[in-house]
Amino acid sequence: MSILVLDIVTTAAILFAVASGLMIILGVMKLINFAHGAFLTVGGYTAFLTTEAGITPWLSAPLAAIFGFLAGIVIERLVVRPLYSRPLDAILATWGLGIVIGQVITLTFGREVQFAASPMSGTFDFGAIDYSAYRIVVTLIAIAIGIALTALFYGTRFGLQARAVIMNETLARGLGIDSGRVRTLTFGLGAGLACAAGALITPLLSVDPNMGLPWLVNSFMLVLVSGVSIPSLALASLILGGAQVAVSTYISPIIGGLTIVVLAAFILRINPRGLGLG
Amino acid sequence: MKRSVFLSLLLSVTATAALAQDPIKIGIPVGLSGANSVVAPSVVQSAELAAEEINAEGGILGRPVELIVADDGSGAQGAQRAFDSLVFREGVDVLISMETSAARNAGLPIVNRGRVPYIYTSFYEGKSCSPWMYVNAWVPEQQVAPIVDHFMKEFGAKTYFLIGSDYAFGRGMLEFTRQYVEDSGGEIVGEEYLPMDGSDWTAIISKLKAANPDALITSTAGGAPNVTLTKQLRAAGVSIPYGNLAVDEGTAKSMGADANGIFIAASYVTGIDSEENKTFLDAMKAKFDGDLNTPNDLSVPQYEAVYLYKAAVEKAGSTDPQAVIDALSEVSFTGPRGTVQMNKQRHAPLTMYLGQVQEDGSVEVIQSFANVDPGDQCPQLAN
Repeated sequence: MSILVLDIVTTAAILFAVASGLMIILGVMKLINFAHGAFLTVGGYTAFLTTEAGITPWLSAPLAAIFGFLAGIVIERLVVRPLYSRPLDAILATWGLGIVIGQVITLTFGREVQFAASPMSGTFDFGAIDYSAYRIVVTLIAIAIGIALTALFYGTRFGLQARAVIMNETLARGLGIDSGRVRTLTFGLGAGLACAAGALITPLLSVDPNMGLPWLVNSFMLVLVSGVSIPSLALASLILGGAQVAVSTYISPIIGGLTIVVLAAFILRINPRGLGLG
Repeated sequence: MKRSVFLSLLLSVTATAALAQDPIKIGIPVGLSGANSVVAPSVVQSAELAAEEINAEGGILGRPVELIVADDGSGAQGAQRAFDSLVFREGVDVLISMETSAARNAGLPIVNRGRVPYIYTSFYEGKSCSPWMYVNAWVPEQQVAPIVDHFMKEFGAKTYFLIGSDYAFGRGMLEFTRQYVEDSGGEIVGEEYLPMDGSDWTAIISKLKAANPDALITSTAGGAPNVTLTKQLRAAGVSIPYGNLAVDEGTAKSMGADANGIFIAASYVTGIDSEENKTFLDAMKAKFDGDLNTPNDLSVPQYEAVYLYKAAVEKAGSTDPQAVIDALSEVSFTGPRGTVQMNKQRHAPLTMYLGQVQEDGSVEVIQSFANVDPGDQCPQLAN
């Protein structure tokens, strides 16, 4: 039973970390970033390169975050910005961008599975049960990300401006907020978070050109259900991730893989606004 | 990697053209793209070495050998195109290839229609039969037994947990494993599958730990699912005897510490201590040098199959398809894996090696089992 609780909490934490970058871009830019899966993959390869360079694996997630942030800013300028007035096309552009990133990775590293070192191995001993130490650490990091994001959006000038843009972009511009700059920084932040999450999950996964893909769909569903709010994303991760673990444990892992998608559709059918705490 | 394949392809084609006699065409439909793209280059390389060696010795019945490689996309649709073009447009004399089961099943009707001998060189889930097909790689009967026998004898393992990917090969292998464990007096305490693209094994691993079995046997799709499962097992501190039916030497090597202690069974490992294997490995190194893809359990049968075809043509005295098919079960070839003859209902008794992955990722052979029988694969084809 306690193992089930740990499974649920750690799974929810991983989902939260993976989906947060997508949610931030959606919130501020009203843009569903189809390249999110590719950003996760880039993060995985950053972890791989960190290992290759002989740098301690603890630094792979921070390095991925920095790289993702810078790459995100460049991508926003080159790809997304020219399409601000055509939101639907901007979404298609991110889809294309995801394909381009995937192919560049395939051409550079090949299709084969790569290996990144894990910062830690072994288990924590909780008396009766021992549990994967890395999953516990990832959970703590995910909680830290949640707190940091909340602090960023509710405790800084950038956060204030971003929230103003979320609520009413035209009005925000009228008040002198440079919404273009907010958009650029937000896209960088979202890309950085996605890359960091990708690096964070590599010790539990393999690094290959398609590693981000399964996470993309689940992230969409989480963000659809949660709306743009950090606490409700955490709640959605807990509910949907928990349901996935429970179904996998008590029914079948094959059905468990569908749980998030089916349950998300169900929640949205009952309440089209989703959880909407924010 | 890809460029080197095409380059060496080009070289071998020009080299054979120099012999300038009506060549014997060997069609190689193989998954250059898709799931098999990681292993396919090594398969093509070993076929190239075989062709080069045969041509240097004067070819088959005085005729040079020409390889025609076609991409089957690792799946059914690509295989139909590849087989169609090889059989009907190129008019190949024989098909020799390592492919996915989906690609093989899609290609077989075309082989039957075109009446071309087909040597399948990939291990697979067994019981695929055609009057035109021979198989020189292992089936579950040959691979599962060494691992289970070893676990029972050395570790006294009675209870087993099975984990696999949800597809034909994964389920087929574990179905046979369940049967074999139960027939040997053991018990299956759990059997769990995840979809092929799934990567979160959390719930399955918790079930495994709750069931507390003596041993674990897994059969996932190669590549990513195998790696994610192994990593998550290690992270969860699972340390019972662990037999992996899907890991090959190369993957084990790159996984390093995560693969440490895993048991594998294969008909080929690079560490086989024989004159033929040493000669083969040296020749591969000399031919491909820096571009060499490490020979493995999928590429070596491909090499041997080219020689088996040569022996059959020489015995039949011609490339006549029916005569070659009749001769294929009667000839043998002694290569890197030892002496192989496909005389058991179109399949071959093989020497199987039980290996354990070491800390540095190398595979140490613990035991070898000579001439493991493939069992009744195609009772309707009495050879």
